[in-house]
Amino acid sequence: MIKSNRQVRFSIGLHQILAAMLQEIRMIGTDAGVLIIILAVPVLYPVLYSFIYYPEVVRNLPVAVVDHSRTAVSREYIRHLDATPEINVTCTTPTMEEAISAFRRREIRGIVSIPESFSSDLALGRQTTISAYADMEFFLYYKALVSGTSFVTIDANKNIQVRNLMDGGLTAEQAEIMAEPLTLSDNAMSNPSGGFASYGIPAALILIIQQTIILAIGIVAGTLREKHPAGILIVHDHRFAETIRQLTGKAAAYFLVYSVLSIYMLKIIPGLFGYSDNLDFYELVVLISPFLLSSIFFGLALSVFFRNRESPMMLYLFTSIPLLFLSGIIWPLSGFSPLWLAVREIFPSSDAMFGYIKMSALAADLTETGREISNLWLKTFICFVLACVLYSGKLIQQKSKLKTGHGIQLQSG
Amino acid sequence: MKDTLFTILQVAGREIRRMTSRSMYLLVTIIFPVATTLFFWSLMKEGVPNKMPVAVVDLDNTALSARLVRNIDATPLSRVVSHLQSESEAMSELRKGNIYGFVVIPYNLQSDILASRKPVISYYYQNSFLIAGGLMQNDLTYILHTLSAGVSKQKLEAMGQDENKVMASIQPIVLDTHLLFNPFSNYSAYVTTIILPIMLQLFILLMTVYSILIEIKEKTSREWLRLSGKSLPLALAGKLLPYTVIFVVIMMFQNFMLYKMLHIPQHAGFFGLAAVSVLFVLSYQAVGIFCAGLFPMMRHALNLSAFYGILALSLCGFSFPVEYMPAVFQYWAEAFPVRHYMHIFQSQILAGFGIEYSLLSYLFLMLFLFVPFAILFRLKKALILQDSIEKV
Repeated sequence: MIKSNRQVRFSIGLHQILAAMLQEIRMIGTDAGVLIIILAVPVLYPVLYSFIYYPEVVRNLPVAVVDHSRTAVSREYIRHLDATPEINVTCTTPTMEEAISAFRRREIRGIVSIPESFSSDLALGRQTTISAYADMEFFLYYKALVSGTSFVTIDANKNIQVRNLMDGGLTAEQAEIMAEPLTLSDNAMSNPSGGFASYGIPAALILIIQQTIILAIGIVAGTLREKHPAGILIVHDHRFAETIRQLTGKAAAYFLVYSVLSIYMLKIIPGLFGYSDNLDFYELVVLISPFLLSSIFFGLALSVFFRNRESPMMLYLFTSIPLLFLSGIIWPLSGFSPLWLAVREIFPSSDAMFGYIKMSALAADLTETGREISNLWLKTFICFVLACVLYSGKLIQQKSKLKTGHGIQLQSG
Repeated sequence: MKDTLFTILQVAGREIRRMTSRSMYLLVTIIFPVATTLFFWSLMKEGVPNKMPVAVVDLDNTALSARLVRNIDATPLSRVVSHLQSESEAMSELRKGNIYGFVVIPYNLQSDILASRKPVISYYYQNSFLIAGGLMQNDLTYILHTLSAGVSKQKLEAMGQDENKVMASIQPIVLDTHLLFNPFSNYSAYVTTIILPIMLQLFILLMTVYSILIEIKEKTSREWLRLSGKSLPLALAGKLLPYTVIFVVIMMFQNFMLYKMLHIPQHAGFFGLAAVSVLFVLSYQAVGIFCAGLFPMMRHALNLSAFYGILALSLCGFSFPVEYMPAVFQYWAEAFPVRHYMHIFQSQILAGFGIEYSLLSYLFLMLFLFVPFAILFRLKKALILQDSIEKV
């Protein structure tokens, strides 16, 4: 049976793509440096981070209370403070100086000061002020002290008010409603315990995927250009179709490796460590496929500029931490200037982090993450075109280099 | 002595010539550090995030609910971007990421209050983001408590009590929160002062490892050793001297941005800051030498230093306090100079405590300077056997 021209072309194309893919896999597999980046980093980092942040929240913050009042009422307040999960009253001192020197020695992380007139003020129906001094060293210390003291204070206020109103002749029920005319219902959507790992880890995982893809592609390309005397990329033929096949093959290799890694990082790790995981497998695939593709083509486009093995690593370390901040998970986007909002749009990780957090933590469905998913496909397309243009541009350079430098003629097709 | 100095300067001169031969040196020593400084400075210039988008579902539609909506909009932290018809609609907006939180004002709010039926106001916020979630919760809680207190106040006033007495009776205890030794509740001051040294240590590590091992990779390490009179300490001193100078200058530039441009208070003075900066740069160069000596192959040493450098972000205790991590990480954390730098910064520089409170941290930083001696012989052997080390 005679194959049609189109069929022959198709099978040649497929063959070339497969060959390019296998070659890339071979290069990754024989390079210990790249293997460590692709396998060890995505596998070990999530586990390591999960253990580092395992305690999740700050409990029993050591706090000193300066009790100027020294009455039964102030002691009751201190007891309530100590009973909160956030605060552990480790010492009660008569003077502020003593508390501050304990703070300097790092024995305590916050100070609560009760005024001398505390119980007499309350008895006489005057307003009294309790001061809390928080350590700004760590945001979480500050948060623990403030939420512990406000909880106790609001509660004490309510009790005092109810008691006073009842003394004034109201029934318990009337006093209750007078003191608290509204019921406030506080609903944290996602991460109700405010666990730190749940804040940081999902975003870090997405970033690790993108950064190691770019790094690995860059190192493979940089090594190739180091090895070859003319410092060129390996492409056999200079036709545009050939470039596309080469790129597709390379991309397929990384896609294959990273789809397995993504399932591990974004499905198995959250399951193991109990991070919110409200997305099913199908939703994960729909979000992560364009993310992987756009990161891969982003890396391929960038790889044209690497002339040695080391430069991708420099870029990796330069960008990783700023990208975490640029994503908007640490610093809210509403505080960004237009410049940084625009820079943020360049990187696939920004969309993927938001998309993944929305799906896994808030149980957003595919239509609610539509903006992120379509952005990722748009970036895939742009990066793909960019990679093709840059690669074929290199090819023309290479062709002229070979002609002048080595006197080798290339077949034209 | 004179010879030693001459040798060091000669090697330093050789290094400067090498540095000008490749753009990578310029990038990593100057452009990247300056760019990150400007990036973090400009990203969080506002200090505190403001006007985060929130929504309200006002089912009551009375004067009281309208006032509540205005109050939410008036706080510096939130901005009411949409009025929605139902809770499910608001929930979907939250899931889409258009708003950070929303408040549901129930039907008959005003009349229920008047009839003492204790209506429920619910508020929801996105808690997957550390700062935004925390601030949103504080803000909404505060506004709604104020509303609740306002209602009590009106009722008590209607009962004929005078205003001072009413305030004391609805809020007998006032909580006044202060920050210890940091007059700023400025979040950016807190983040940038630590993130900049963390970024800088990455560049110092990379550059140290790269500048040493490129000699093996390009097979010039024997020539380098010959020029240094075959003394590795002299060779390293001469090679790293230009980087020490550059990185200390960069760090002083960062200090200038923090204490002069962002007006963060500091109590160490110019020379105090310079001394800490020199110690910081030297201790990371020492760790860099150690990485290079441990794995005298560029790819592995770079991977190792990258792994170590990135981990500093978590383990220096800046994101999550080290005291609350499992014990093994508490010991591990001591192995990062940036953690000791952070102590010095918080105690001596920011709070102005006496140097005796950060003495231990200085001691630790100096301890790092001895770390390279552990691998000196190994590194020298590798430098001599340059040809057989890096086989690509």
